[in-house]
Amino acid sequence: TAAAPRPWRLFGAMCLLRLPRITQPLEKEEEEMAALMEQIELEKSHYSDHEIRKLEEEERLKRRKESIYDDDEAASKTVIMAQDLEDQWEQKLLRFKPAPRITDADKNNNRTSLDRKLDRNLMLLVKQKVGNQELWLLPQAEWQPGETLRRTAERAMATFLGDHIQAKILGNAPYGIYKYKFPRAIRTDDNMGAKVFFFKAFLQSSDLSQAEVKEDYLWVTKDELGDYLKAEYLKKVNRFLLD
Amino acid sequence: LCSFFFSSWMPQAVLFRGSHWQSSLLAFRASLPMRAQPKKKKKVDVKREQAQKDRMRKKIKKLEKAAPEMIPIEDFITPLKYSDSNRVRSLPPLSFEETERRVLLLKKWCLFKQKQDNAEKKAIQSLVEAQQEALKELRLESEELYQAAIRRDEELFPFERDGPNYTPPLPGYDPPEGKCVDITKVYTQ
Repeated sequence: TAAAPRPWRLFGAMCLLRLPRITQPLEKEEEEMAALMEQIELEKSHYSDHEIRKLEEEERLKRRKESIYDDDEAASKTVIMAQDLEDQWEQKLLRFKPAPRITDADKNNNRTSLDRKLDRNLMLLVKQKVGNQELWLLPQAEWQPGETLRRTAERAMATFLGDHIQAKILGNAPYGIYKYKFPRAIRTDDNMGAKVFFFKAFLQSSDLSQAEVKEDYLWVTKDELGDYLKAEYLKKVNRFLLD
Repeated sequence: LCSFFFSSWMPQAVLFRGSHWQSSLLAFRASLPMRAQPKKKKKVDVKREQAQKDRMRKKIKKLEKAAPEMIPIEDFITPLKYSDSNRVRSLPPLSFEETERRVLLLKKWCLFKQKQDNAEKKAIQSLVEAQQEALKELRLESEELYQAAIRRDEELFPFERDGPNYTPPLPGYDPPEGKCVDITKVYTQ
């Protein structure tokens, strides 16, 4: 016996996450604890070869300064002292300039770029037409019979970002659901509302220059989602987002 | 042995050998080229060789039966040169304020970590609840889609990812040339 057709339309949506590329800054307690741990480690340790060499050379220098006539050690003088080595290393470190942690995109607050907020997760939001409204949503596509919901979500991602996107989808099961009823005007007995199933994926390819994005898109962090998503939708999405 | 006697005699007496088989005057005079014994029979040789081989095999078996030697863990053996007394660091003892500060900091850290852990557990709980709800709704919709959703994803594991660094990669960075020689000792049993 065939089941009666359900009045809900099904959608598959993809929450694409760009994982953080740099470490988050330490909290105050973490920094204090790290400093304490280093101090304790120093106290419990013994002298290393380099430190012993440094101490001996300092003593030798002191002795030489005190007894100016005692120059018999000049013959066996070491050419490079441990202190000189340390200065050399310090200079070398200062000469190296690493890439900045706060990028230009951060400063311009360019929300379409992937280089912003390198220490947080970024999610893709696209502007889609639902009913007669243009809304900011996670990319979604309607489910067609014959495919699994995961395929629907992949299709949604491909429509907005092109086929050459490399993303690792985390499993076959949906992570969340958003259920809504259509406004009374369009609601019928066969078509009461829609259920949107969310899937999660990690972005693997680091640059999307080849992706031809057709609609407006944004990459936002979890805190900035509130600026774009509606309240009910946001509540359901926040449940499955870790930050 | 002949060299002593040569030096004690008068240097004029030049001595000749009788024949090339008589290598020293006082040694045994073997007029005929004599071999030690008539050639041993082949059987005895073979038996002796086999006995030798058996003994070797027994020795090898004994060695193999012995318990394998333990591989020493290099990290747990402190080299002797580090137990010298001149290596001990000489620092002033900790003041009372310092110990107090440390104890209080450890307590603050304990609280901080507890809060962090609880927040993580709550987040995971909410994640699991959201997923269960989604699966329940999906089951209401269609059994087939539900079965497809709870199937295990074989391609997910093994999952590899490079962790975050302190600074983002520098574009156009040329790392210095060099060769890395691995000198770790490898023990085989």
